[in-house]
Order: sequence, then C-alpha cells, then structure tokens
Amino acid sequence: MKRYIYINHDDLAQDLYCDNRISNRKYTLWNFLPKNLWEQFSRFMNQYFLLIACLQLWSLITPVNPASTWGPLIFIFAVSATKEAWDDYNRYLSDKKANEKEVWVVRQGVKKLIQSQDIHVGNIVWLRENDEVPCDLVLLGTADPQGICYVETAALDGETDLKTRVIPSASMGIDFELLHKIKGVIECPSPDKDIRRFDANLRLFPPFLDNDMCPLTIKNTLLQSCYLRNTEWACGVAVYTGNETKLGMSRGIAEPKLTAVDAMIDKLTGAIFVFQIVVVIVLGIAGNIWKNTEAKKQWYVEYPNESPWYELLIIPLRFELLCSIMIPISIKVSLDLVKSLYAKFIDWDDQMVDLETRIRSHATNTAISEDLGQVEYILTDKTGTLTENKMIFKRCCIRGTFYGNENGDALSDAELLNAVSTGSTDVIQFLKVMAICNTVVPIQSNTGVISYKAQSQDEEALVRAAASLHMVFVNKNGNVLEINFNGLLLRYEVLDILEFTSDRKRMSVVVKCCLSGKIYLLSKGADEAILPLARSGQQTRTFSEAVEQYAQLGLRTLCLASRELDDDEYREWSLMFKEANSKLVDREWRVAEVCQRLEHDFEILGVAAIEDRLQDGVPETISTLRKAGINFWMLTGDKQNTAIQIALSCNFVSPEPKGQLLLLSGKTEDEVCRSLERVLLTMRITNTEPKDVAFVVDGWALEIALKHYRKAFTELAILSRTAICCRVTPSQKAQLVELLKSCDYRTLAIGDGGNDVRMIQQADIGVGISGREGLQAARAADYSIGKFRFLTRLILVHGRYSYNRTAFLSQYSFYKSLLICFIQIFFSFISGVSGTSLFNSVSLMAYNVFYTSIPVLVSVLDKDLSENTVMQHPQILFYCQAGRLLNPSTFAGWFGRALFHAIVVFVITIHSFVFEKSEMEEVSMVALSGCIWLQAFVVALETNSFTILQHLAIWGNLVAFYAINLIVSAIPSSEMHTIMFRLCRQPLYWTTIILITMAGMGPVLALKYFRYTYRSSKINILQQAERLGGPILSLGNIESQSRSLEKDISPLSISQPKNRNPVYEPLLSDSPSATRRSIGPGTPFDFFQSQTRLSSTYMRNSKDN
Amino acid sequence: MNSNSPSTSAGGPGSADSTAPRRNSKRPKYSRFTQQELPACKPILTPKWVVEIIDRYETDCVPLDSRNDKVGFIQSPQDKTCHRNLTVPKRMKRPIYVYYQLDNFYQNHRRYVKSRSDQQLRNPGDEGDTSACEPEDTAHGMPIVPCGLIAWSLFNDTYNFTRNDQLVTINKTGISWKSDRDHKFGKNVYPRNFQNNTLVGGAHLVANKSLSEQEDLIVWMRTAALPTFRKLYGKIEVDLQAGDVINVELQNNYNTYSFDGKKKLVLSTTSWLGGKNDFLGIAYLVVGGLCFFLSLVFTIIYLVKPRKLGDPSYLSWNRNPGGH
Repeated sequence: MKRYIYINHDDLAQDLYCDNRISNRKYTLWNFLPKNLWEQFSRFMNQYFLLIACLQLWSLITPVNPASTWGPLIFIFAVSATKEAWDDYNRYLSDKKANEKEVWVVRQGVKKLIQSQDIHVGNIVWLRENDEVPCDLVLLGTADPQGICYVETAALDGETDLKTRVIPSASMGIDFELLHKIKGVIECPSPDKDIRRFDANLRLFPPFLDNDMCPLTIKNTLLQSCYLRNTEWACGVAVYTGNETKLGMSRGIAEPKLTAVDAMIDKLTGAIFVFQIVVVIVLGIAGNIWKNTEAKKQWYVEYPNESPWYELLIIPLRFELLCSIMIPISIKVSLDLVKSLYAKFIDWDDQMVDLETRIRSHATNTAISEDLGQVEYILTDKTGTLTENKMIFKRCCIRGTFYGNENGDALSDAELLNAVSTGSTDVIQFLKVMAICNTVVPIQSNTGVISYKAQSQDEEALVRAAASLHMVFVNKNGNVLEINFNGLLLRYEVLDILEFTSDRKRMSVVVKCCLSGKIYLLSKGADEAILPLARSGQQTRTFSEAVEQYAQLGLRTLCLASRELDDDEYREWSLMFKEANSKLVDREWRVAEVCQRLEHDFEILGVAAIEDRLQDGVPETISTLRKAGINFWMLTGDKQNTAIQIALSCNFVSPEPKGQLLLLSGKTEDEVCRSLERVLLTMRITNTEPKDVAFVVDGWALEIALKHYRKAFTELAILSRTAICCRVTPSQKAQLVELLKSCDYRTLAIGDGGNDVRMIQQADIGVGISGREGLQAARAADYSIGKFRFLTRLILVHGRYSYNRTAFLSQYSFYKSLLICFIQIFFSFISGVSGTSLFNSVSLMAYNVFYTSIPVLVSVLDKDLSENTVMQHPQILFYCQAGRLLNPSTFAGWFGRALFHAIVVFVITIHSFVFEKSEMEEVSMVALSGCIWLQAFVVALETNSFTILQHLAIWGNLVAFYAINLIVSAIPSSEMHTIMFRLCRQPLYWTTIILITMAGMGPVLALKYFRYTYRSSKINILQQAERLGGPILSLGNIESQSRSLEKDISPLSISQPKNRNPVYEPLLSDSPSATRRSIGPGTPFDFFQSQTRLSSTYMRNSKDN
Repeated sequence: MNSNSPSTSAGGPGSADSTAPRRNSKRPKYSRFTQQELPACKPILTPKWVVEIIDRYETDCVPLDSRNDKVGFIQSPQDKTCHRNLTVPKRMKRPIYVYYQLDNFYQNHRRYVKSRSDQQLRNPGDEGDTSACEPEDTAHGMPIVPCGLIAWSLFNDTYNFTRNDQLVTINKTGISWKSDRDHKFGKNVYPRNFQNNTLVGGAHLVANKSLSEQEDLIVWMRTAALPTFRKLYGKIEVDLQAGDVINVELQNNYNTYSFDGKKKLVLSTTSWLGGKNDFLGIAYLVVGGLCFFLSLVFTIIYLVKPRKLGDPSYLSWNRNPGGH
C-alpha cells in the first residue's frame, strides 16, 4: 500500500486519511461499560466470582441471600472501573491538551493559527524554534540557507544529541513566500513504526522545478514529538497524522508487570481453589449418600421419593456456594488499596527528595512495590546513574608533559597557565582542537555570557576548559567559527564534519584558517581509534601511558590529533566525500570508508582527561545493598578501563587481594569460548573462598557469548555476584536483563538516559534517575528518583515494608475466609450434610467487607523493624528476597491456624449452647463473635508496632461489630431481631467468648513466644535488640568470630541437602536452614550445578547461618 | 458450676415513703441509707446445683406387642397414652422448666430450616406468600397458614403431671420469646387450612387462637442448630421436694421411630449460666491447666537455659564477617 499526498491541496485528501487527532484513550463514552466489563471478566478470579454470583440467583441452592456476593462483587467492579475511567479521563485530558495546541498551518495560501488536531495530510505546517513537531512532516524549507535544521529526538529514541535534518534537493532554494504556495505530490508507504526508515519520493508541480522524482529519506523528515532546535523556523508537509504517525504506531501499551508476590498469591489462590473443589466433591458425595439413606427416614424433610437426575448436582452446588467464600473476594480490593498507598508513601517520602533540584521520588507504577523488597540483581548504567554526568576537564598530557597531576586540576595548574601565556605552539594547537573540533553551538545571551549547546557532555567540557584557558569559542556564524584567543579573534571556516559514530569512535573536522588559508584536519577520539593512526615516526608511548594512567584514575580520556592538509589532497577527498554522502545505499559505511582515507598520519597533540564525578553516596549505597545480598551488574557504553576504575571507586568490586577481576574477551568465537571456559573455571574454584570475584566483558564478546554460548554464560551470570559489561548497546542491556529474568531472578534496572529505556522496561522493576540526560528514562520507569543513593531507601525501607505488609495482608485475608468457611463445613456435618449455612447473609457479607478488612488495612502502617535498624543491618532484606514471609509453608501455617481456630470456635460453641440454647440464630452469632474476637487478637498478635490508628482499627472494629449487630438486632423485620440483645445479657455468652479467645490464642501465643525466644529469626533478634535499646550496631565482630567457628559447621552440614529448594518453613518463623530460591530444577544447568551448587549456596547461605 | 446465688432483699416498707413528705410530722425523715435498709445482694458461697430429671420414653411408651413395628404403632389411630413415674432426686426450686428433648432430629436441615414464611406469620395480608414453604405450601389449592415443613411437623406429645394424685399445673404461657410473640407472629393471623393435607405431620393448632398466642408453635419454630435439642414445654411453678414421685401421663403421638430418634422428657431448674452443662467448666479447667503447664515449661526452660534477648552476636553476619 502506498499513499499519495498532494501538498497543499485543501480539498483533496481531506477525508482520505485521519486527521491529527491523537487518541490514547482505551474507551469511548459508549463502549466503556461493555469493554471494561469484558476486560475485567477476562481474569480468572473475576469469572469465578461471577459464576458464584450467578449460581446464587438459583434459590434452590443458594445458602444465603445473593446480595451477599453481588454486593461486594459490584463494589469491586465499580472500584476498578472507576479507576480505569479516571485514568482514561486523564489520558483524554492530556490528549486534548496536545490536540488543541495551536500551530501555524497554511490554509488557502495563507498561514493560519489552527489547532493541532485539525492538521490534515498534505497541509504545510510551520514551526518555530523549540516548537514540538505536531505530526510527521516532510521538510520543505528552513531558515538555514543550506537547508539544514536541528531536531532533538529524545522523545522518540532517547538520544539527546541534536540531529540534523535537510530539506530535499527539489525544494532547495525556494523562496519563503513561495513556500506557501508550493504544490506537489509525495508518494510514501503506508504508516509504519520504523523510525529509522522513510522511503518516499517527492515531485513538485510546476511552476516549481519540475524535475524528476526526488527521493526522500528519514533525513528529510521531522517526526512527531521531536523538538526543533537552533533553527529559526522550518516548514514541512504533513504525511502521517494522528495515531498514524511513526510515534503513534510504535506506541504500545506496556505489559502490566506482575510481582513475585502477586504470582505467589495467584498460585496460592489456585491451590485453595483446588482444595475447595475437593471439599465440594467430598461433601457433595457425602451429602447425596446421607440424603439417600438418612434423609428418606426423616419424614419431616419430605424428600420426594423420585427425583430427576440433576437433583444429584444440587447438594454439590450448594456446597460450592457455601465454600465460595474460601477465596476472599475482598483480597483484590484490599491489595489494590494498600499498593496504591505504598506508592503514595514513596511519593511522600521527604528523605528521598533531591535537594538540588527539588525533585521528589515518584512511583509511576503503583502495583509493584513488593518487588522492590525482593530484588536480587541490580543492573545499573554508569554515566549519569553512578556518576553525576557533569563532565569536567581535569588533566591533560600535551606532548609528553603532564598537566594537572599535582593538584588534580589542570585548569589551575600554573605550568599549563604559564605555557598558555607564553604561547607554546603545542599547547595552543591542543587548545584549538579542543575549541574547534566539535559540533558545539555557542549561544551568546544578552548579557554577553556565552553558553554552549552541545550534543555530548564531553565536547562541552572541552570547549569550556578551552575557554577558561583563554581560547574562547565565541560565535558560530554559518560555517565560520570565531575564536577569541587572548583578545585575538581567529576565524576558521568549517569545510567538512566527519561525524562521530560508535564504530569509528572518533570525529574530525576539516577547517580552513581564514587568516592563512591553510586547511587542517582536526580529530579527537578514543585512544584506540587515534593512536594507531599517528604519523610514522611519532612516539605514541607517552600517550598510551597517559591514557593508561588517566583511566586508572577513573577519568574519561580523549586523544586529540591534527594534520595539515594539502589543497589538492583535500579537494580530491572532498569530491569523494560528497559522492559518498549522496549515496543512497550503504551510505554510512561508504562515508566511514572515505573518512578513513583522510584520517591518517596524525600528529598526536595530546590526551585530555575528563572527570565524571561519582554521585554523592554511591559507594555507600552499593556496599549497603551488596550487604543486603543484592548483586550488582554495571552495564555501560563506556570503555573497559574507565568502567573498571569507576567500579573500583564505588565499591563495586574490591581492590586486588580481596577482589578479583576475570576478563572475558575475544574477537572470535573460539577466543570467546576459551575465555569463557577459563573464567567459569576460576569462578567455580574461587566461589568456595570468601572472595569478591567479578567478570568483565565487553560488548563484542558479549554478543558472541550470548549467541553461541548462552548456557555457559548463563551459568557464569548465576555464579557471579558482580559483573561489568562495557561497550554494550541498549539492546544488549535489555538482553542481559532478559537473561537474568529467565533464571528466575528479580531484576531491577536503573538508568538515566534514553539508552537505558529498553533495559528499564524489560526489567522487573525499572528505576529512572531524573538526571541530566533528560527525563526519558524516568518517564519509562516504574519509579523515578532524583539520586542513585535513594535506591537504598527505596529498596530497604519501602520495598521491604511493602513486601512484609502484603505478605501479611494476603495471607491474613485467606486465613479469615478459611476460618469462616471451615466453620460452615463443620456445621454441615451436624446438619445432615445438606448445605445449610450457619451464618446469615448479613453476617457473611459484613464479615468480609467490614469486620475483617478494616483492621488488616491498617497493617500498611506496621513496621517490624525501625528504618534505622534496617539501614544498619541491610542483611535482613534476605528474608524478603528469599520470600520467607509468603510462601507455601507460611501459608500452610495460616491454613493450619484457620483450621485450629475454626475447630476451637465450632466445638466450644456447639458444646456451650446446647439443648434448649441451641437456637440457630444465637449459635450463629456466638460463632461469629468468636471469629471476630479471634481475628482481632490475631491481627494484634501479628502487628509489630501499634500506632493510634492500629488501636483504633483493631479495637474499634470489635466495638463496631457489637454496635452494628445491636443495631441490626433492633430491626424487627431482620432475621436476627433481638438476638444480640439476648446474647449480651447472658453470662454464658461472655464466658463462652472468653473461652474461645483463650483456647484459640493460647497455643498461638505460646508458639510465638517460643519461636521468638528460642528459635528467633534474625528479625526477632533485631526486634529484641531494638526494644531493649541495646547496641544495635554490632561491635563484637572480632571476638565472636572464633567462638562461632565450631557453631557454624554443624548447621551448615545439616542445611545443605535443603539448599536451593523453595523455602518451606513452619508457621511464624523461618528455619535457619532454608535458603534462597533456586533457579528451579528444570533448568538445563544441572551438569554444572552438581558440583557448584553447594559451593555457590555456601556463599549465599553463609550470611544467614 | 458452682455459683453464688444472687438474691435481692425485698426492700424497705413501702408505707414509709408516703409519710416522708409530711413536713409537720415529728417523725424524722426516713432514709434507707440512715436506716441501713439499702437493697442488698447477699451472696452465699454455696454451690447451687442445677437439678435435672431426664426420662427417655420413646421405647417404653410403645406397648410390648408393637415394639417390632414402632412406626406402624405410632401411625395407627389407637390410644397412645402412657404413664411414667419420675422421682425427684433433690429439692427443686421453682420455676422448674419442662422440656421435651429430641434426638437425631435435623431441624437445621437445609430443606427444613428454610421451609417457612416469616411474612405470612407476621402479616394477615401476606397469607399467600408461601413460595419458600414448598412442599407444605398449599392444601386443596389454598395457602396453608402457617405454611412450611417446620410448622407442619409441630411436636404433638402432651404431658400431664400429678404429684400424690394432685395435678401439678404446667404454665404454658410465656414459654416463647417475647420478641417472637410481639413481632414475628401476628396477633391477627389465624391458622387456616392447617394440617389439611392427606399427610398429617404433627400437631393441629387451635383454629381461633391467633398465631402469637400459639406458644408451642412459636417455640417449635425457633429452629435448633443441633440435631439434639430441647424445647420448652412449660413451667412448673411449685417447688418439688426430694423424693417426690411425679406421675406423668403422656400422649405419645410424635413419630421419631422412623429415624430412630430418642424422645426425652426433661425437668430442670436453671442457674445463671442456664441449664445443666458441664462442658464450660471442664473446658475452662483444661485450657487453664494447659496454660499453667505451658507457663511452667517456659519457666523451667528459662531457668535451665537462659537466653539473652536481642544479642547482636546471634546475627550470623556478625559471626562470620567475611562470609558473603
């Protein structure tokens, strides 16, 4: 399919293509209800609830009033529908804002201000500097006589540098006025989402140059959501509009992320569902047997002698309805509610505010806070994330002379200043390259202060440094650069720019000195891209040493070089360059090849070292989080040496004796394979020693390893706690995240730039730093923070609390539902297995909605340990990471507790209220109050810190229970009229309740006390220490070491067979033998693990034992 | 259950109050306080026993020749009068409650417990509201009042007590809940079309008494949650002395023979906790004993092997610092 676009044709093509109305909305006013319901019912849990609710409409089988299920169900649906509607409304508002933005569009040959949504395909749109491009345009004219304009494409691809766009040759040189009347046709493909491709043809109609088809490429386009920069105006014809733009097409709805806790809850729900089905089948069969034997004799029940076959189904269905409360309908609402509160706590946290920029931390994704507490791997970007991304020129080496080595700052090095003032040619040449060899645009403000707009931070740092050394880059006038050196104005004409690409790793400019007419080639680039091209005879050893030395200090190095060109040589090359530049196929490769022809025989001028300072608190953050058992991987596009140096300086790896770096390198498959095997071998051996081993890999070797030796590399990834990956591309970053995720590790990716977006989106948790490289990463991320050091708090405080709270809340929800359901099941055994509900509809509904959900909701305020304690003992995060608080075995504990409490409540109730007191409604209320009392004490027992709100909710709820029931009892028409008044007057009732509470809580309390005192977990110990006010900070590392040695051996040997199994632990505690989650038995690394498992788990285990 | 018996003094002489306001009287102002005549509770720390007489009669009241076909006997129209002698073991203070106890009778069966129409019972206008009453909803095309299985199967054994050939009156008013009489069973709802079907379930109702006065029905319709239950039959308002022999003349009409249900006649006094029930006492003793035992065990463990709370050296990462 192709589309033909008639430029500036007001009547044509108006209706052929959509207008420029952007719509991110999911719903319209009309389809909201059906579509939303359909979406909600595509979830299994909702289908289940709907089925139950529908079954309840059948009065023959429903044990209670259908309202007891329909009420909560409708409430839940209304809540999530309202949330969806609200989100959609906000999207509508932001769409509206974009749609109603005013733009200049040519209509009937006149420029008019219209709303952005009224742009049609074929319209000519005019943009001024810093305008956002409203739709995809083909450039027709710019203010620049060369037909160039600059755009910032950050919103599109995350690259923050300015890109140049040129007008197609056909429209070159058309007058400003004529542009309003231009006519023509563009043949272009149907909309797609490829932002790097646009293959189209343009033909202008007479009276304009009616030459042949003029080919168009992506270079001739302005894509939606880019910004026009450094160009006074530009105009273009709209080719794709609305949701059909390249951006609109690639806009996808991000997959909702599911946390490990959610997955576990789903799993447990499934288990409960299976349990429920089993119960229903067993009770159904038992019920039918009872009916056919016993019930026939019970004449007062009047069972008909003959019944249709489907009667057999009635009893099982009744039990299904009776047991449907086993899966608590309220759990989803409660979880959504507390999750959004966790997110709000992050937003509100005053300790995570970047004081410099006043940026607060923000949780964009409100649903995944628990995962923060379960992070096992952090993959971090380097530049801008660990470092400040403020490049400062620190040192240099010019012709073998080192400047800045003494005081660490070349700009204040007297020797260099002296050299500048005396006019040393080498130094001046060096400074000239610093000032000229770049694509920086100086902008002089009204006050005369010059600011620089640069594509890269390095270039800006160099230009600034040159300026402070009296080589001021003053002005860029077209192609002419003006440089003020000590008051002397030098002009250079830029003839060609040999752009930087990541393959070439260098950039060059060809300039002509306006004074002498000499032509120079000035280059700067990575050492390996420059030094080998030195002219024969020049010694480059000092420079390599300088590079080495600077890299050791963690500085970024750039080599500067120059060469004087002959006129002829240049002219000859220039032709080739132009030709290559106009090639349609393989242009980049051709251009690179042509550049190579010029870039040789360099006169190496020197090495500039630029410092990228570490952010505040980065080393502390990393060491704290490493203590918490989190593994760090650094993924950077920077070069190996710099990456390693940064890694060393921020505690990423320990220096030599303790730490060891294993290099994984190689250019060919064989080399990489050998290297990988060697690294793996070392890794396996050293794993038994308490040593910090990290592997270092570069992008090239990584590519090969991922492609051909994925298995071995995966094993390496699992074994190593630290890795440094340098020279990696954004997609490789995402691949590494994917690799770790496939091993079942929880990953957190943190980055600040557009190149980290893919990794951030891929990871379980994406954290963006709202930094200097723009907000691109922060916008794509689940959490955005101002500084790297907030990560500690985000994980240790917010993540940990969220995990603990959700673990409690979800299991408690199941506990209370199971409790009441077990009582119903027990009751069915004394009611002829006929499926009678002991509780009435009002009680059942209120039990789930009021009595039990409010006290537990305040558990969002519960803190098991104070924030300070957690910060001092980050190791405690282990409990969350390993999922110690929510797993099948803790759940089994809650299940057992529900069973025990149900037995206590049921047995005591039916034995105290016997004979003349066994009235149905009374017995039901006694049992219900027993449940309420028990659950209040259970919540109280599981709460670690009581705030006033918790007291209010727990005890207030108990009071409210009586208040509500007394009110209901006062209504004459209600089923339970006067019941509660009668009960409250009876001493028997109160003695029974006290007995239930004592019998129910006594053993649980004793067990908890025993665990707390004699089998205390690390959390318990810290709680005790905290409460005793003793030294929480551990002091006695050294003297306790010897004593603990023999202690350590025994538990280890016992615990080893259990290693790497999912944690099964008894109620209320955590056995010290259990360890972290394994990569699962089905993984293909069993061969390696037979030998490495024990050793690797030793390391992870040893911090627990 | 041992209990003190709360008893209230009758209060001061009422005539004193009427004289108090007279101002010109020479008599000093009467005050219960100054005269130490405040009403007082006089606890006596003696156990008060609940005395209970239980008489199981469902087999004994079937003549010997009918015992192999009890169901046939109960369904036959012959005379089912039966005489029982009860001996009072201990002095029983009034009021003495007379219960009948049924066993293996599932009033809580789902089919049974729902088979009633509260609307109909309350409101004379709603007599057609019998949808829940299936299968005892209509007879001869007319709605039954009161409808449903519960009402239909109303217990119909009757008891008459004589002591030393003197009739002991049984007070059958006030045996149901007051709230039921006032709110659940209408004052102007009369039984209609009741027990008119071919199959007669239980007792008939007096046609010209409103439902709120039919206390046996009201008691019966408070369904029991357990298959063994007692329902109040009446109250004996005189004290029975130890050794008294009470002759019961009962009409054994109700069919519990089809499902092997026991029938018992129970005479019982009450205490503050209600009737005779040992469970709570035993349960308290067991739970208390368990708590005592546990606390003893914990104390011993604590004394034998004390453990310092919150010792940081228990933290493993403090024990082997190089371990990770």
